[in-house]
Amino acid sequence: MSALVRVYVWEVPVRVTHWLIVLSIAVLSVTGFYIGYPFVTVSGPAGRHFVMGWTKVIHMWAAWVFLGAVFVRIIWMFTGNKYAHWDKFIPVHRSRLRGCWPTIKFYLFALRKPPGFVGHNPVAGATYVLVFGLYFVAIATGLVLRGASAEVESPLRWFASWAPLFGGLQIARWIHHALLWLLVGFAVHHVYSSVLMSTIEANGTIESIFSGYKFVPPEDLQYSGYRFIDRKGQVDE
Amino acid sequence: MRAPRRWLTSEFERRGISRREFMGFCTTMAAALALPSAAAAQIARAVGRAEKPILIWLEFQDCAGNTESFLRASRPTAAEVVLDVLSLDYHETVMAAAGEQSRANRDRTVAERPGGYIAVVEGSIPTGANGAYCTIGGESAIDIARKVCGNAAATIALGTCATFGGLPAAAPNPTGALGVADAVPGVGNLINLSACPANVENLTALIVHYLTFKRWPPLDHYRRPLFAYGKSIHDNCERRAHYDAGQYVEAWGDAGHRAGYCLYKMGCKGPVTFQNCPNVRWNGGTNWPIGCGHPCIGCAEPDFWDRMTPFYQHLMGVPGFGAGSNIDTIGGLAVLGVGAAFAGHGVIQIMKRAADKAEPVVPNGPAKGDA
Repeated sequence: MSALVRVYVWEVPVRVTHWLIVLSIAVLSVTGFYIGYPFVTVSGPAGRHFVMGWTKVIHMWAAWVFLGAVFVRIIWMFTGNKYAHWDKFIPVHRSRLRGCWPTIKFYLFALRKPPGFVGHNPVAGATYVLVFGLYFVAIATGLVLRGASAEVESPLRWFASWAPLFGGLQIARWIHHALLWLLVGFAVHHVYSSVLMSTIEANGTIESIFSGYKFVPPEDLQYSGYRFIDRKGQVDE
Repeated sequence: MRAPRRWLTSEFERRGISRREFMGFCTTMAAALALPSAAAAQIARAVGRAEKPILIWLEFQDCAGNTESFLRASRPTAAEVVLDVLSLDYHETVMAAAGEQSRANRDRTVAERPGGYIAVVEGSIPTGANGAYCTIGGESAIDIARKVCGNAAATIALGTCATFGGLPAAAPNPTGALGVADAVPGVGNLINLSACPANVENLTALIVHYLTFKRWPPLDHYRRPLFAYGKSIHDNCERRAHYDAGQYVEAWGDAGHRAGYCLYKMGCKGPVTFQNCPNVRWNGGTNWPIGCGHPCIGCAEPDFWDRMTPFYQHLMGVPGFGAGSNIDTIGGLAVLGVGAAFAGHGVIQIMKRAADKAEPVVPNGPAKGDA
């Protein structure tokens, strides 16, 4: 058994966009839930309060932060290091395609350890493709709804003309709201999976999104994704 | 048969509309069209000198609600006259002629004055069973629409049925009903005035715009004039301050309802519906749905009968859980389900690890070649 190596996996833009996305989704979820179901109501003259007003202001600014973070992260898929690259999300290379099934077997308890991928494992990467898909739909429906209340002369108004793509504004609203719950569900899954991987692989997965570094066996760097151990302790490559 | 063409000014004089009243009307129209007040003079010149426009009014699958709305143009008086003295060469509900005679009237206008009349279409056009669901004098609605709209200077689709298919096109759409834009694709110079019914004030303003500038005003992506469909109901709503404050009607007749709070939680579709109802109102400016405590049902938007329902619910239900189901309840339960599934996964994982510890294996098994 060889000593673990310290590898710089997540560069600064990856970590910053990750946390901006976390924060903005948290803010967007809470404010979005209120906008969909205003559970706080106030009394007295309307002019004294601005509860829904502020909620929408915060929701919209958080939405621009989210949009910017997602945009930068996508740019970084083409300009960042190999762990941030787009092909770590869309599994086009043979090593990643071959790594999918053993990874799923690990999640289903058929393997003792997941194949040793240093960055995202191929199943996680493919999941993030879906998550980014949800982001795009959330952003598009959000822009449609923003455009609907923009001035006729405003450039934002153009987005309202996308409404028919989603079956009209009311359906766009429904989709936008459903995405709240899908993304909250994803957050639950994401936290659980990273704790699981951090525990099983003992490689500092959780810490890596703060520091950028992971600790991996040197052979993982060489034979990325090929090694895995079945439940009998047999090593396959 | 047809009355001789007359200038509108002579018609005003004959009906005792004063110059002051007429100018008031022109100013109102300039405001309705979101034009500067100076445009009123231009409107007055154009409308006063305009030859009475010829209208051919086609009525297909509908309830005649737009005709009702049209006949009730009550304010300002000059508007009544503009609408009244239009040369309505064909309108099934109000014309005196009947049968062959009326059809001959219509066909003669279409043949003799191509590009010289405005076609108004009310009601949806059924396309199922070769158009057999709606025939007039043996001709199907789709054939009449193709013939009349094809030769018109412009076509106004009046009301949601003619614009988007409306109620007849609601699922499962047994007659294959379509709006004019879809039933007669490529119809030139089409303008849509949706809503159920379309507001006659907007029809008047539209015709006045046409008389003044000889073209249609700017349109939105559904070909509706922006002066009337440029802002959502919500953005012009008199209850908007309550929305922004956080004051909502929670149940019919509760204290909030009596105080005129926002109807958002009662399913108001004002935020996703574009119309100038809050400004022009209905029945001569008497009132409008939200003004009398009823949420907007979104009647001016495409497929409102399918998409805006349930009318008294903010969002529709989740497919598979019924139309009345609540997306937040189901979404919250789904997230709990995900949490429970992963908690189960974690427990199994911990048990397997404990079992593995009893029979240890190399933690980070050797790579090929290490042995």
